[in-house]
Amino acid sequence: MIHLQEVSKLYRTDRVETTALDNINLDVGKGEFISVMGPSGCGKSTLLNLIGLLDEPTSGKVALDGKAIDRYGDRDLARVRNERLGFIFQQFHLVSDLSVVDNVEIPLLYRKMSNKERRRAALAALDRVGLSSRTRHFPTQLSGGQQQRVAIARAIVGRPGILLADEPTGNLDSQMGDEIMSILEDLNANEKTTIVMVTHDPRMAEKTHRVVRLFDGRQVQ
Amino acid sequence: MIRHLFKLVWNRKRTSALLILEIFFSFLVVFVVATLGMYCWDNYKRPLGFSIKNVWQLRIETKKSDDQHTPEESATFARLLKEVKSFDAIESAAGAMGAPYEFGQYQSGMTIHHHDVTMEFNEVTPELKDVLGLRLVAGRWFQEGDEKLSWLPVVIDRDLARDAFGGQEAIGQRLDEPAPDGMKPKPGMRVIGVVDDFRRAGELSGPGNYRFDLKRLGNPDDRPGRIILVKVRSGTPASFEETLMARAQGVAPEWSFEVKPLTQLRESAFRLRLTPLIVGGIVAFFLLLMVGLGLIGVLWQNLLQRTREIGLRRATGASRAEVHRQVVMEQILLTTLGVFLGTVLVAQIPILDLIGFVSGRVFAGGLLVAMVSIYLLSILCALYPSAMAARVQPADALRYE
Ligand SMILES: Nc1ncnc2c1ncn2[C@@H]1O[C@H](COP(=O)(O)OP(=O)(O)O)[C@@H](O)[C@H]1O
Ligand SMILES: [Mg+2]
Repeated sequence: MIHLQEVSKLYRTDRVETTALDNINLDVGKGEFISVMGPSGCGKSTLLNLIGLLDEPTSGKVALDGKAIDRYGDRDLARVRNERLGFIFQQFHLVSDLSVVDNVEIPLLYRKMSNKERRRAALAALDRVGLSSRTRHFPTQLSGGQQQRVAIARAIVGRPGILLADEPTGNLDSQMGDEIMSILEDLNANEKTTIVMVTHDPRMAEKTHRVVRLFDGRQVQ
Repeated sequence: MIRHLFKLVWNRKRTSALLILEIFFSFLVVFVVATLGMYCWDNYKRPLGFSIKNVWQLRIETKKSDDQHTPEESATFARLLKEVKSFDAIESAAGAMGAPYEFGQYQSGMTIHHHDVTMEFNEVTPELKDVLGLRLVAGRWFQEGDEKLSWLPVVIDRDLARDAFGGQEAIGQRLDEPAPDGMKPKPGMRVIGVVDDFRRAGELSGPGNYRFDLKRLGNPDDRPGRIILVKVRSGTPASFEETLMARAQGVAPEWSFEVKPLTQLRESAFRLRLTPLIVGGIVAFFLLLMVGLGLIGVLWQNLLQRTREIGLRRATGASRAEVHRQVVMEQILLTTLGVFLGTVLVAQIPILDLIGFVSGRVFAGGLLVAMVSIYLLSILCALYPSAMAARVQPADALRYE
């Protein structure tokens, strides 16, 4: 499902050259739930961005669903992101000027569908994360855990096959973190959603099928 | 998407209101300047009703008001006109009270068939038709012997004929002007002819009613004219002005004179009417420039604050083109709201009939120009910020820290 082959990523800023990722090989199968661990700055987010087609590798190959994406144009990449991928971030990245349900509808704006269908799908996704009663609220009126649940609803509203979560529980206390984790486990178990999750928390990593460890841009295991 | 953008605009009330207000005011300014411009242009294209080729004016300064005159002065004026006509260099000359392009005017109002009509008028001698090349469309012009009639013959322009008599035949109609307090009533007037629309104030003035009264030179009741309009033969040198002035001074040493080609009066009239338009245009231009730069700044600022949102949209499936389009659409939406408010306000003018002189066509033209230029300005200002927004790298925009 996800295939990374000899992927490296270099960042060049002025005179400094950072090797964020160095020769990474990774395969994630359909329905797998893996976690990525490692110290801060070791390249976890970079790895997720490459899988999520938000960035291009300096060298190596990234393939999704068996298709190499290096020859995709901007429009095709956007379509794949829209249909196949869902992102969850540590800082939620909700649009503060939009209500909960309008936030959840965002990915569907880039699809051809009626306003009614969009609304129905968004409400269903909010129901899925247990937020049916908060649809008209604005993000600032919600707790951190609730905000992250909105973000998950937004990530799953388009029914993507792959969820990419970058430290989804990093900003939450452990009880809220557990709630989020159980939603992800549930999505993985019941919808066969493939999940790649970056985490610092070994308790969370334990609950996943497999752990990929990075150190200084290298895979150590 | 439109609904989504509406929500964004609505929820960002403060920034949106600021932008809408800027657009609203620029719209009003452009509308005013454009409508004035259209009005001038519309007038300019209408027939003028006379020609000033080789026409000069000899202006008489008697240092007395029009109404205090002696029979001797009337006689002096008649002699002066005769003297002027005797020059070889002069094709024809006519006495009058007012000249084309002059600033002041003689106004009169009367009730005709139970409806109030106002008009500008002039008292002229019969030669005026030749001097200014007036075109008769009905009836006749003044002729020899008219000064002996018991009533006062008048020639009116088409506008006045239409306004006073509608579809009826104007020739032979009577006009009765109430005499001002303490003054002898004028003899009853009767229309003997109709000329083409006569726009004495010049090309940039609007259409209006006009009436020519016969100035009866032999009649001691008639006041002397204030002006003699002369048509000189082509090729007459400017130095002839001096000759003319000297001769006039000889006939009437107690009066003073000034000679000027009408082209000079025309120039001043144009300057007088175009200056506010040009100043308005320049002010509007700089205003639009400032508003434009302001718009770019505000949009830019907004987008900086919204890089995360843009990154998120890109991550969830918006292509560069879609981000670009969204920013431009948001701007068009704000513009539409501003223009809508402006149009609602401006529409009160014809609804409440606030400015009578602006015709529907000129009004619509001004509105159209204002709309088109505001939309253009606004889209132009959105282009650069939207291009920058489309260039946002989602990975950078969404990075923590
Ligand atoms: N846009 C960038 N420009 C320069 N350096 C970057 C950029 N993004 C990441 N890096 C560097 O690459 C390395 C890996 O970053 P990141 O993937 O964010 O680490 P992690 O998510 O594991 O904390 C870090 O040293 C970081 O400073
Ligand atoms: Mg990170």
